[in-house]
Amino acid sequence: MRLALPKGRNLEPALAAFRAAGLGLRGVHANSRHLRQTLEEDDLEVLMLKDWDLPLYVEHGIADFGVVGSDVLGETDGDLLIPARFREGGCRLSLIGPSDAPPAAGSQIRLATKYPNLAKRFVATRPWGAEIFKLSGSVELGPLLELSEMAIDIVQTGQTLRDNGLVEIEVVEQVNACLVVNRASYQRHRRRINDLVRELERKELVL
Amino acid sequence: MRISAALPAGVTALLFDQVKRRRRFEGRAVEILEERGFSEAILPILDYFEPYQALVTRQLRDELYRFVDRDGELLVLRGDFTPMLARLLAPCLESLELPLRLFYRGDLVRYQEERPGRLREYYEIGAELLGVAGQEPEEEVLDLFLRILSLEGEEIRVILGFAGALDGLLLAADVDDRSELARAVARRERRVASAASTALLEVVEEGVPVRANDLGSLSATRLEALQDLCARLQTRFDPQKVTLAVDLAEFAEDFVDGDLVRDAERRSYYDGLVFRAYLGGSAQSIGRGGRYDRLFRRLGCDLSAVGFSISVDPMLRGAGS
Repeated sequence: MRLALPKGRNLEPALAAFRAAGLGLRGVHANSRHLRQTLEEDDLEVLMLKDWDLPLYVEHGIADFGVVGSDVLGETDGDLLIPARFREGGCRLSLIGPSDAPPAAGSQIRLATKYPNLAKRFVATRPWGAEIFKLSGSVELGPLLELSEMAIDIVQTGQTLRDNGLVEIEVVEQVNACLVVNRASYQRHRRRINDLVRELERKELVL
Repeated sequence: MRISAALPAGVTALLFDQVKRRRRFEGRAVEILEERGFSEAILPILDYFEPYQALVTRQLRDELYRFVDRDGELLVLRGDFTPMLARLLAPCLESLELPLRLFYRGDLVRYQEERPGRLREYYEIGAELLGVAGQEPEEEVLDLFLRILSLEGEEIRVILGFAGALDGLLLAADVDDRSELARAVARRERRVASAASTALLEVVEEGVPVRANDLGSLSATRLEALQDLCARLQTRFDPQKVTLAVDLAEFAEDFVDGDLVRDAERRSYYDGLVFRAYLGGSAQSIGRGGRYDRLFRRLGCDLSAVGFSISVDPMLRGAGS
């Protein structure tokens, strides 16, 4: 089987959980330059992928299973099975801005985000409207440099926001790393996947 | 002037050997269909939008390419053969000799997100068996479906279920949103399923509950019949090439009970057997079908209807890779 691991913030919690559940994953770490490693003792091949690409690799069966944030899953329209969500490494997707006041009812704001689809769904539930546009990185710069009034972005500790004079106005949703499985792989490797998830559950590593 | 060879997103052209391969497959498929008494229906690429309002899900309606014709009529490009054929046959069913065995082939056009493997124009071949009561048409259609798929495909996995199989378990769950629960079961979200019931967790893990009666007596009987059908069909095909399995979680969102889906626009037209075929490791199905008497009921007819469709190019591409 092939396991796709994310290069970003979800890698360490996922590695720790898999190792606690019995996978060795020897030599797999955040600084590794290997994009592809065969781990005979785990009977696995590991692919290291960017978060945003990972769902595609699993959906197309290039990888049988993988780990990706629920923020990425919520933004991409993929057909994946999600048997478990990891307990560690959670964060939140939040509305941020220069003050803690939400937009006034009936107002229209400019909203920067990496997640335009999630943002669109969120704004549809609010009494204000927004011109939503996508930024690829450092979304906080949008409200900081007045490219936008507000932004929707990942908040972990909130330190980056505080350092830049921004505040978390409202939590849009909780974000967790998810174990995702290819639909066909689940049929072929059902037992192995279920055994792994049961072990993660037994050790209380997943929600 | 230099002219670009680029095509719009989700659209592709076949040239040279790809054309020969598609036509060869199509020719052999048509040969099998005609041997079994199916005759061809050629359907238009343009139709009125209005008849589909009540026939298809909101999702499919949203995917249809619609436009206003010069005379002001709202038209659609063909996005699904089955409801088009049904709406054309329904007004004249009384004058037709049943059963009807029909097949079709051609392009469908639907809006899809721009992602690998998601085409906005794609070629399908399919068949419909109308007016045969009982389980016989299901076996006939499935056998035909598998024979056509196995002309080219290797490592084909066909998942079987029936609409409404989990309705009882979903209705018994103590949750606010049963549609969300069904969605979680379809995505194998173990935590959500196990919080609802042990039987739903078993369905998530193994595709069926340990005790069939947990589904309710009627569904338990149907599950047993489906498992028999699955075993019978498997004996006719090389398991290296085609494997069949019953998995009710795959179709958890295909409800029948009206209390589960008050929003009729979310209901698909399948209301009995449902099946999907996958090739190799791809999560994109290459074929699908089932029983859709409900579609004819929406058109005011009481008729047994079972059919399938195969997405030809993804299948050939997968088989060749």
